[in-house]
Amino acid sequence: MSPEANKILLKMVVNGKAVEVMVNPTQTLLKVLREDLGLTGTKKGCEQGDCGACTVLLEGKAVNACLVLALQAQGKEVETIEGLGTPERLHPLQKSFIQNGAVQCGFCTSGMLLSALALLRKNPNPTVEQIRRGISGNLCRCTGYMKIVKAIQDVSAFKE
Amino acid sequence: MQHFQFYSTKSISDALHFLSEKGERTRIIAGGTDLIPRLRQENSLPDFVLNVLEIERLNGITERNHILRIGATTTHTQLVESGLLQRSCPSLVQAAASIGGPLIRNRGTIGGNLANASPAADLAPVLLAMDAEGVLMSERGTREVALRDFFIGPGKTLLNPNELLVEISIPLPKGTNLFLKLGRRQAMSLSIVNVAVCLEMEGGNCREAKIALGSVAATPIRCPRAENLLRGKEIDPELISKCAGEAMAMSKPVDDQRAKAWYRRQAGEVLLKRALFQAAGLRND
Repeated sequence: MSPEANKILLKMVVNGKAVEVMVNPTQTLLKVLREDLGLTGTKKGCEQGDCGACTVLLEGKAVNACLVLALQAQGKEVETIEGLGTPERLHPLQKSFIQNGAVQCGFCTSGMLLSALALLRKNPNPTVEQIRRGISGNLCRCTGYMKIVKAIQDVSAFKE
Repeated sequence: MQHFQFYSTKSISDALHFLSEKGERTRIIAGGTDLIPRLRQENSLPDFVLNVLEIERLNGITERNHILRIGATTTHTQLVESGLLQRSCPSLVQAAASIGGPLIRNRGTIGGNLANASPAADLAPVLLAMDAEGVLMSERGTREVALRDFFIGPGKTLLNPNELLVEISIPLPKGTNLFLKLGRRQAMSLSIVNVAVCLEMEGGNCREAKIALGSVAATPIRCPRAENLLRGKEIDPELISKCAGEAMAMSKPVDDQRAKAWYRRQAGEVLLKRALFQAAGLRND
C-alpha cells in the first residue's frame, strides 16, 4: 500500500489562519508544521520531548510538537513562533530577549519564547523561581539561562 | 516511522467497540509522551493507534461520597492545578508536579503514567499508598482493579488488549500524605527512587501507616511489613529508622543508567526516613 493512499486530511487553525493539509497518520505535528506548512521556526531537537526546541502552543498550552501526532491536532488551534509579533512590531518578549542578550545561536529561542508566553499568560508577574520552572522543559546550550530569565522578568505586568 | 492507521473518537462506546475488534493490533494514545518515543524505537509499529483524548468523559477530577474520581486522560498539569487535590491529596499534586517539565505535564496523563507501567512512574507510589483502584472498561463490561494488583512487571499491567483504563478512584485519604522523589535534576528527570507515605497520627501514636516505593523493584511496591512496624505504635526516630530499613529490605533495586542498586537502597532509605519524619510531624535532625 503506498504511503500516499493513506493520507488523511488535517484541518487546523495555525496562527489564526485555517489550514488544510494531507498527512500520514504517523507524522507528528512538528513534522507537518515544518515540512508541509513551511513553518520552520519551530525546531527539531531531540524528537523525544527532552529539549523543548519544538515547543508550540496547542489550544493555548505549551507542548512538545514532536510528541503530538499531527492528527491529534485535528480541528485545533496551534500557535507557532511565526505567530508571535511581526518584524515591524516585535512582541514585548522578543524585544526583551534582544535587549537582554538572551539569544546566542537562537536554536532554543522559539521554544523559550513560547514557553515564556504561556507562563506569562497564566502568571503575569512570576517570581524568578516560577520563571525557571516555567522554562524547565526548554534546554539552552549557549546562554546559561540567566539572561533568558532576566528577559522574561523584564516583561512583567504583561500586556499582549 | 513506517505506518499505522489513526482512529479518533469522542465516544467511549465507540472506542470500546474498536478495541473489542482490533485491540490486539492497537496502541492507545493520550498524551503520547511515553508512547511516541517508544514507537520511534520499536522495530514494528502497531496496525492502529487509537486517540482517546477527545473522549470528554475520560477527563476531570470529582469527589463523591468520599471517593475521589480522576478521569484517565486528566493531565499532570490538571492534577497540579486542582484545588480539590491540593486540599485532599497533596501527595498526588507533589508527584504530578515532579513529572518532566511543563511541556510534558501539559500532555502526559494519569492513565498513561499507570498504563505505561514504568517501575519509576511517579504517580504510582502515591496511588498505591492510598489504596487506589483502576476502573477498566471493555465492551463486555467494567471491572475495578486495585492498583496493588494492576502492575505485573516493568511495562506490564493487567489491562487486556480490548480494555481501556477509564478512571482512577481514590478513597479520600485521612491523615497526612507525602511524596518525595530523588532524581538527577530538579526537572525532566526520571526517578532514581521515589517514596509515598500516608500516616494517620493521634498525637505521637500512629493509627495507620501506608508506605509505597517506586524505582526500586520491577513494579512500584507497598511495604506491608514496614507499615506493621508503625501501626499502633508511638513514633520516634528509632522506630522510623527501623521501619525504613525494613521497607528497603523488601525492595529489589537494579543497576541502570540512572543509578546503581546500592545507591538506590541507601538513598531510598534516607528518602523514606525523611518522608516518615515529615508525615509524623517530627523534626528531621
